[in-house]
Amino acid sequence: MELRINGQTYTVASDAAEPLLWVLRDELGLTGTKYGCGLGICGSCTVHVDGEAMRSCSTPLSTVEGKAITTIEGLATVEADGTETLHPVQEAFIEEQVPQCAWCMSGQMMQAAAFLSNNPQPTEDEIIAAMNNNYCRCGCYTRIKTAVALAAEIAEERRA
Amino acid sequence: MTKTTQTPAEPKAKGKGLTRRRFLQVLGGGAAVLAVGAVLGGPTLVREGRLAINRVFLTGSAPSSPPPKDPFVWFEINAANEATLYIPKVEMGQGIHTSLAQIAADELELDWQTVRVRQADASRGFDPQLIFTFGSTSITALYQPIREIAATMREMLRTEAAAQLGVAAADLTAANSTISNGSQAKTYGEIIAAKAGAWVIPEAAAPLKPDADFKLIGQSVKRVDLRDKVTGRAQYGFDMRAEGMVYGAVARPPRYGATLKASGEGDARSQPGVVDVILREGFAGVVASTRRAAQAALSHLDLTWEGGTTINQAEMEAMLTLPKEGGTLIQREGNVDGATGTVIEANYFTPMAVHAQMEPQAALADVKTDSALIHTSTQAPGLSQERIAAALKMDEAKVAVRAAYVGGGFGRKTGTDAAVEAALLSQAVGRPVMVGWSREEEMQQGYRRPPAANYFRATISEAGDITSVHHEMASGDVLFNPQVGASGGFLEVLLGTDPLAAYGGLIHYSLPAVRGIYHRMEIPVPTAYWRGLGSFPNTFAIESFIDELAVATQTDPFDLRLKYRPADDLGRRYELVLNAVREASGWGSAVPEGRARGLATCYDRGTVVGLVVEVSVNESEINVHEAWCAVDPGLVINPNGAAAQVEGSIIMGLSSTLIEQQTVENGMAVGNNFNTYPLLRISQAPRITVLPINSGDEPVGGMGEPVIGVVPAAVGNAVFALTGQRLRLLPLTLA
Ligand code: FES
Ligand code: FES
Repeated sequence: MELRINGQTYTVASDAAEPLLWVLRDELGLTGTKYGCGLGICGSCTVHVDGEAMRSCSTPLSTVEGKAITTIEGLATVEADGTETLHPVQEAFIEEQVPQCAWCMSGQMMQAAAFLSNNPQPTEDEIIAAMNNNYCRCGCYTRIKTAVALAAEIAEERRA
Repeated sequence: MTKTTQTPAEPKAKGKGLTRRRFLQVLGGGAAVLAVGAVLGGPTLVREGRLAINRVFLTGSAPSSPPPKDPFVWFEINAANEATLYIPKVEMGQGIHTSLAQIAADELELDWQTVRVRQADASRGFDPQLIFTFGSTSITALYQPIREIAATMREMLRTEAAAQLGVAAADLTAANSTISNGSQAKTYGEIIAAKAGAWVIPEAAAPLKPDADFKLIGQSVKRVDLRDKVTGRAQYGFDMRAEGMVYGAVARPPRYGATLKASGEGDARSQPGVVDVILREGFAGVVASTRRAAQAALSHLDLTWEGGTTINQAEMEAMLTLPKEGGTLIQREGNVDGATGTVIEANYFTPMAVHAQMEPQAALADVKTDSALIHTSTQAPGLSQERIAAALKMDEAKVAVRAAYVGGGFGRKTGTDAAVEAALLSQAVGRPVMVGWSREEEMQQGYRRPPAANYFRATISEAGDITSVHHEMASGDVLFNPQVGASGGFLEVLLGTDPLAAYGGLIHYSLPAVRGIYHRMEIPVPTAYWRGLGSFPNTFAIESFIDELAVATQTDPFDLRLKYRPADDLGRRYELVLNAVREASGWGSAVPEGRARGLATCYDRGTVVGLVVEVSVNESEINVHEAWCAVDPGLVINPNGAAAQVEGSIIMGLSSTLIEQQTVENGMAVGNNFNTYPLLRISQAPRITVLPINSGDEPVGGMGEPVIGVVPAAVGNAVFALTGQRLRLLPLTLA
């Protein structure tokens, strides 16, 4: 089966029922996407499939064949000369010093990035609703709220 | 103020800490008293010996291994003048790689932009025991040694630069990784590259720079590890990969304490992807080409489990019933039995809870005939090394353990199971094996916070003064639970308590009479270290009961705490903290309609904490809207990092206050994933204001744990103020 991940094409031999999470991590070595529960509850494993946030632990391979998958490793843009430009969400998460252990953070940032692309100027309540199914055990919630709002501003500035 | 310091032959014994030698002396003294007591058959002597020795455990910090003295073990500076700092503590989100690097770079006068941080390990000459990251002790234990080592290197560079430039060392100054006298300059990298012969490390540590010249200490320097963490590049134990690696999974008992009586392969070996089936005495594992294949094959093994407990929740709670007598005396001030007045009694209960750190235990092991290399998410590389060596029957010196980034610890990554399992499986199959626990294994098969009960009986005089507080606590073990593999041996007998479960059980207020008695309850469920240890249940209980006494004496909760604040310097720090949080929270001013505020305070691991929360209730639901927290750990190294620890502790504490409880049925924990054991969400998080108080010129307290215990108390006290319901059971549930 062919998978399109972060603009690259990968051929995998895994079973069609295998959850995308374990194919990313264990077959393809893309370990930036994290495991937390395997049940679609914690959000650690969030990736984008055709631009929408999806829980990769509960997404069988068969459903993503031919679709554009983005993982945390593909969230920043890299120029031809190798310069890496962080996504506004990544920049904001550093600026606000959000992550503690950061195990949940790939999922938080992928969730936030997909949300902001659909809703570029969210209210605080909308941010909370969008982020409410992403657990953070280290307790970075207050900073996540601030950082998602800041990411919206950074994205706005970049568009200007 | 300039500090000059000599390195003493033994690390200096400070009032608040304990050197290893002093620790052993105290233990020895306590042991002698106990031994004499036992010989004479004197229960009084036993009681007195235990009181003294428990006191040491409950007020001193744990001993730490001496750090290496050679600065070049810690700091590498290349010819391009880029510095690499090797930090002997594990980064699990507390920002320790950043704050310790800040301290070193400031004293060594490094250009912060050129600093890279790496995890130190034994291959660089660091004792794995030194790397043990626990108990919020990293900064207090290493602040002084790191400054001395960095200062020594700075002075070595200055002396060498003087020789290389042919000028007087006294005319040279160090700044920005460069030594200069205004007209001539050499970078540290150049000096090191041009050095002929070996460096001589001076016996005595060099003078430390004046505090007024700090450039990095005390600043909210940004975390050094976040770029790698927001791009997914950072590698945790669960992410470790190696050429030719396979995945391991291990069969689990259906009940705590059950052992494998008989095992057969069944048809596990013929399952898809299975590489090998490993059966040993008391152990059954599968190695397969994928993680899922390994786990799936487990159910095809033929296993017979024997014994174990069938305990259920009601039985376990009954075991926590406080006995009428017995127990070990851990605090005695004044004469409680002689106190008179109106009696007030209360019972508190804290259930079991899991850590739920987002990254479950994980390790990658590569075991060869004569050596082993294990990468793992661990707080305790030294303990991992010991246990792995024992399991492999290999010399400890041949077992190398590398601590990876840890995806949340909270005490759980002191566990070594995944690392031992990976090592055993790798030894059996002769290939690198990765073991990463599932959430279900993590929640059921790991250890957890023990259940705890607290009972108080206080007396209040007619004038409204507290005349005595008698406090009894009963808890499952933290240090000694045999199910977790810890055996205290003689120490268990010596102490008569589980000192880490009793932690936080001392009442620090200046009261005429206080007595504390600890009852050790050996429950057949694995329990051990959880953020704050005994501080969580004990602070919840003590600070809620203090609020009951404020109500009973019709005293404002702040005024009561100030009235009975500890004597001496601790009292001064209580005042600073209480006044700061009183003002920031607007205590006494009008509260928004339908809300009320609650206060709790504590002294824990050298840090004084004051927390005010503002709550509302909606039918049966408690909502926490605001939290103001003043914390005083002495000198704060990184205010924003400290604030993050406070925020995290409040959120984790709230989760236990409002939601979490692990129960047991038929000898096994019930909650096994987030559907049966949910955590606090972002929508339930309050706004948090952190007020760091720098009450001194050196760090004296920890930051990762002291705030967790005040959370349930402050919320419970606020709920009482709002509803008149005194909630004494966690999670707090309105009638
Ligand atoms: S691992 Fe996918 S939602 Fe938790
Ligand atoms: S940062 Fe550790 S779980 Fe979110």
